[in-house]
Amino acid sequence: MQLKPRVRRPAGPDMRRRLMAASCALLGASSARSQAVAGSGPAPNTWSIDTALAYYHEDGRIQAIEPVVNVLKDFGDGETVGLNLTFDALSGSSPNGALPSRSVQTFASPSGKNLTDPSKLYTTAPGQLPVDPHYHDQRLAGALNWQLPLTRVTQATLGGKMSYEHDFFSVSGNVSIAEDFNEKNTTLSLGVNDEYDTLHPIGGTPVAGSDYTLFEKTAGKTKNGAGVLLGVTQVMSRRWLSEFNLSADRFTGYLNDPYKIISIIDAAGNTTGYEYERRPDERTRKSAYLENRVGWDRASAGLSLRYMTDDWQIHSETAQLHLRWWIDSQDKYFEPSLRWYRQTAADFYSPWISAANQNSTAYASSDSRLGAFHALTFGLKYGEKLADQGNSAGGEFSARIEYYQQVTDGHFDAPGSLQGLDLVPGLKAILLQIGWRF
Amino acid sequence: MKANRMIWILLLPAAVLASGCSSIGVKPWQHDLLAREDMRLTNDSLDTAIDDHLYFSKEASSGGRSFAGGGCGCN
Repeated sequence: MQLKPRVRRPAGPDMRRRLMAASCALLGASSARSQAVAGSGPAPNTWSIDTALAYYHEDGRIQAIEPVVNVLKDFGDGETVGLNLTFDALSGSSPNGALPSRSVQTFASPSGKNLTDPSKLYTTAPGQLPVDPHYHDQRLAGALNWQLPLTRVTQATLGGKMSYEHDFFSVSGNVSIAEDFNEKNTTLSLGVNDEYDTLHPIGGTPVAGSDYTLFEKTAGKTKNGAGVLLGVTQVMSRRWLSEFNLSADRFTGYLNDPYKIISIIDAAGNTTGYEYERRPDERTRKSAYLENRVGWDRASAGLSLRYMTDDWQIHSETAQLHLRWWIDSQDKYFEPSLRWYRQTAADFYSPWISAANQNSTAYASSDSRLGAFHALTFGLKYGEKLADQGNSAGGEFSARIEYYQQVTDGHFDAPGSLQGLDLVPGLKAILLQIGWRF
Repeated sequence: MKANRMIWILLLPAAVLASGCSSIGVKPWQHDLLAREDMRLTNDSLDTAIDDHLYFSKEASSGGRSFAGGGCGCN
């Protein structure tokens, strides 16, 4: 972060102090990780600032612009306070959950109260995926993180986060403790997290499973979440660092997407109506995560694997590989990356409800994020170290690009006239980002 | 079956970590490569945060590396 890596330079006391500060910069994260490598010497009284501006664009759907800033104050002796601020501005077209049709479909925007007010309506052409073309949202999020040493080998981390949107507010807090063993080659950490969210959807909260045309809406809703994370970080060798985490969390309350509906389809493939989606009001997730870092004189590699499962019967596997090559005396680098992801569908996921089974459906959602798909991300980052600035360790300029593609898995036996339509199209997106540390 | 295989792939290294912690590792003066910026387990928190928010909004899984927020992701 605020370091200027020089591979052949031995890690002296000053370098270790800087690394200690840099290692604390994972704002809002909960586990005090990799103490084994960071060292524990007294730290200087320094500030470091990390900024980025990201632009995200989906093919035919959402686009977003996101400035982010991290500020880290190092008080010395391993104590740090970090602040993260993030702003998102999103706009574009968001899928409303309905299925494409051979006919023109008419929908009301979330603030609409009927299907007769033209100013609140939008239509979808035959064969097209229904999207709300007027989607826009802003998000302001902040995180505060306080990391403090309790003993020479024990470190505590207190963190809090908040996120505000005009229809959503979230606040959470976390506590972690980490203990070093084995000459600081091993670090065990344990953290707990608690979250409270409130939702006030535009136009009210739809009654789950209700007829879309009746516009049955109620007041705001809440959901609660709690999680635990147990981790071990191990220095395997001079070139190899490994981490393994087990985590679980549980959310209860309103877990629907209030803006998603699901089509009701008859045997001929005609859309006979729509319902608001209805998900269970609790969800428990468990995950295992393994990350390895291997370093060479002019390169390094990071490989992470994650397996997640939940009681909605979603299982997912994720593999991510980063490679970094230092060039030009280790002042510049290129970092290509590849991520592979696959998930199974939630047991209540269905692109549509059959009209014949309409009244027997307990839970139903056509949100494609709960469906079966796989995704690939290709990334490339370029970074260049900037000259030292006074007492700071020097900055860095970086730029990166990512391409994300989501491909729907599985086959759907579309009834009647829906055959031949792309009922659950995938997603293509690109991310551009520039960053500056100083 | 695939899920079980994946769990074993993840758990095996953990078992190695747990059983071999006392015999593996390095001395304090051997941290030169490990102390390098790009050897941190999360070497760029902003990149990670931006990516995690993207994946959280588009996929059903999140967390693992650290706590996953519930969030809204209503888009």
